[in-house]
Amino acid sequence: MAAIVIGTHGKLAEALLASCEMICGPRENIAAVTLEPGEGVDGLVGKYKNALSTLDRNNGVLFITDLFGGSPYNAACRIALSEENISIVAGANLPMLLEVTSQPKDIQAKAALELAQSSGMQGIQVFKEVVTNEEEEL
Amino acid sequence: MNIVLARIDDRLIHGQVVTVWAKETKCERIIVCNDEVANDAIRKTLLTQVAPPGIIANVVDVEKAIRAYNNPKYESTKALFLFTNPTDVLRMVEGGVPITSVNIGGMSFKEGKKQITNAVSVNEQDKESFQKLHEKGIELEIRKVISDTKVDIMSLL
Repeated sequence: MAAIVIGTHGKLAEALLASCEMICGPRENIAAVTLEPGEGVDGLVGKYKNALSTLDRNNGVLFITDLFGGSPYNAACRIALSEENISIVAGANLPMLLEVTSQPKDIQAKAALELAQSSGMQGIQVFKEVVTNEEEEL
Repeated sequence: MNIVLARIDDRLIHGQVVTVWAKETKCERIIVCNDEVANDAIRKTLLTQVAPPGIIANVVDVEKAIRAYNNPKYESTKALFLFTNPTDVLRMVEGGVPITSVNIGGMSFKEGKKQITNAVSVNEQDKESFQKLHEKGIELEIRKVISDTKVDIMSLL
């Protein structure tokens, strides 16, 4: 399975991972990295590298970050520029995380990235109060 | 009907979890088999609304599920069957539906149930039904998501 690093402003990364594991059980080859108040991109690059050293990178790495252009995203970009087989997505949400962590073990980072983008977008839905019966009867 | 997966998960169509199983099994329909839910218009509507894109969801009672299975119209339909409990699975099997393996995803804890994994709790009736399914040679494996390792529920009862 591609290594996954969740990187966010504050504790969101840890909480997202905990929520994902509440639904799916313990996940492997995944790390949550938080940017704490007062820390900058440089410090975060170091934290990412530490996290990566604990993961199996044979199928690449997918960074799931909270905000496009934010420090967790920017720090991941820096690593991607100097290392091979690293994919990055921004806009972390629970549907995205559930999708990528529920895949068969041989999934590569690039495929996981596509799934993260599509499931993250499709995960945003609204409740339709009008009762429509779209069910096709059996 | 081609049963690509029979799963017990009392959350039924549970967001991304079902989406992943549906994609992996390439099912065309998700058929929720439960008498109580089939008679509850609100739950039925909510379930059909949360079906993954492109997949038809049906909520039917067990008798109707058996009839649908035997309907020649659905001979080649790839179906994912969802149950809330093993007794309904047993009713299907005894009704002639050849289920060979059951995936157990989630059975929530309630008063009077015994917790056997963090996601699966069983009462006496569940145990009895699992035992009968086991005696029929049906695989009974606990896995929340497809990438998990199968755990034989009989080893935990």
